[in-house]
Amino acid sequence: MAAFDSVSHLEASGTPGRPGASGTLRGGGSSLSVSSLTAGYDRSPIVHDVSLDVRPGEIVSLVGPNGSGKSTLLKAIVGLVDVMGGRVLLDDADVTGWAPEEIVRAGAGYVPQVDDVFSPLTVRENLEVGGYLLPKGEVAGRIDNVLEVFPQLRRMLTRRAAKLSGGERKMLAMGRVLMLQPALVALDEPTANLAPAVAREVLEGHVRHLADIGTSVLVVEQRARAVLQISDRTYVLGGGRVVMHGSPDVLASSPEFVESFLGGTRA
Amino acid sequence: MSVLVASLAFGVISASVLAIASIGFTLQFAVTNVLNLAYAAVMTASAYVAYEVNQAGVVVWVSALVGAAVGATMSYLLNRVVYTPFQRRKASPITLVIVSLGMTLIIEFGTQAFVGGTNVSYTMANGPTLGVGSFVFTGAELGIVAVAVATMIAVHVLIRYTRLGKAMRAAAANRDLARVCGIRTARVVTVTWILSGAVCGLAGVVFGMNAGSFGATSTDIFVVLILAAVFLGGPGEPYGAMVGALVIGLGTEVSAAFIQPDYKDVIAFVILLVMLVARPTGLLGART
Repeated sequence: MAAFDSVSHLEASGTPGRPGASGTLRGGGSSLSVSSLTAGYDRSPIVHDVSLDVRPGEIVSLVGPNGSGKSTLLKAIVGLVDVMGGRVLLDDADVTGWAPEEIVRAGAGYVPQVDDVFSPLTVRENLEVGGYLLPKGEVAGRIDNVLEVFPQLRRMLTRRAAKLSGGERKMLAMGRVLMLQPALVALDEPTANLAPAVAREVLEGHVRHLADIGTSVLVVEQRARAVLQISDRTYVLGGGRVVMHGSPDVLASSPEFVESFLGGTRA
Repeated sequence: MSVLVASLAFGVISASVLAIASIGFTLQFAVTNVLNLAYAAVMTASAYVAYEVNQAGVVVWVSALVGAAVGATMSYLLNRVVYTPFQRRKASPITLVIVSLGMTLIIEFGTQAFVGGTNVSYTMANGPTLGVGSFVFTGAELGIVAVAVATMIAVHVLIRYTRLGKAMRAAAANRDLARVCGIRTARVVTVTWILSGAVCGLAGVVFGMNAGSFGATSTDIFVVLILAAVFLGGPGEPYGAMVGALVIGLGTEVSAAFIQPDYKDVIAFVILLVMLVARPTGLLGART
């Protein structure tokens, strides 16, 4: 956890934030507003009429059973899945239907559940690719900043990402996203396949600190109990629709939610 | 002993030609995800245009640059006009292989329709020679080896040290992830077709120089050697293609010193099969 004490350094390093039109970077999060979004594959919608919002510095979680459309929703927001209806606003920019590379330029970052790093590339090369949009002269400094957040990565810079453990991969994936200091980070099951202790560190350390530096965080998570503890608000998806939403306290007082996601005991 | 030296020397030259072709092929395959079997046909067509330029009085090495430009243009068009529309329709990889086979025939017979069925040879000066033991390298052969080394160095610098090269490797490894890093992968793919096409055109010219004479269908067998070198090294791995070309080039030529030379291409596949049984991902293939 001590590693995250230095997260704020990113904010104060002189080049936080996403690339702006002038090539400078600005910090702080963007608000994400999704309204009536319908999205899916090959003209078959998976997500139906979903609306949600995330404000700067807020952690909003998405929980739900397998196949409920959580990952598809994230992919639709970052442009990896076809949007068939509704709107996605990042601050004032309507990014609905934009290509992923353009949505990233607008300030969004995305960590997929699997295939979250470039396996044949070294750790350093992964970070360099993460900083692809930065001016060349800023990449090395930004890598140093990321390594202050994830000091464990420093001793494995020349190692191929394919050789990393699950926890190390996840650190690298999040470090890669931090290279651009995005205003919004969408995380798809960041604790999948991680040991409980590592999962806790990822959620309570890495994800919490993203929000602490002002980033808007939208996180999909199967570990409902754990993610509720760090969330400001939670949306529950079922059958591709929002079936419930509210603060963790409100959800934890819902017998239906407790029964379905917390194993019958309150968080 | 002199036979072995000669076969090793021929092996180095063959490996050089094969290395140039294989590097372009594997780079193209890795980034574009198209196993473009029409690559060899583009080599031949480029070699023919370079031949016409050469016959107009231009030095063969300058003609080779024209060949590279032709290869780049043809490959760009091949992608833009043929492969991209199929990919937009979500054609399967095997469908694209079949399409590329069809393009091979179209390009080969199209070339033949223009130039006729006879073989042609470049006009080349002998240039300086270099004796290695009992073997004497001609100036053209030394030039081919030098071009191969220069191509390998250029590709190494490109993929290791340039922003474009890293984008190419990222797109090859995981295209969606590359896109969410802000890489405009469609543009990277287009540039890759152009660069690998230039290498393809260059390979066509050095192939023609090394063969002595060539015709419209001369690369039909050569494409099989390219595939052997590429898959031996690990598909999509430029360094693997370099090593694969060296092993195949030396293996085929050295074997020809001891067995019936007509069978030397078979040796390439014996090497490939043995290696793939031992290491299915190829010599340098470590993708997971």
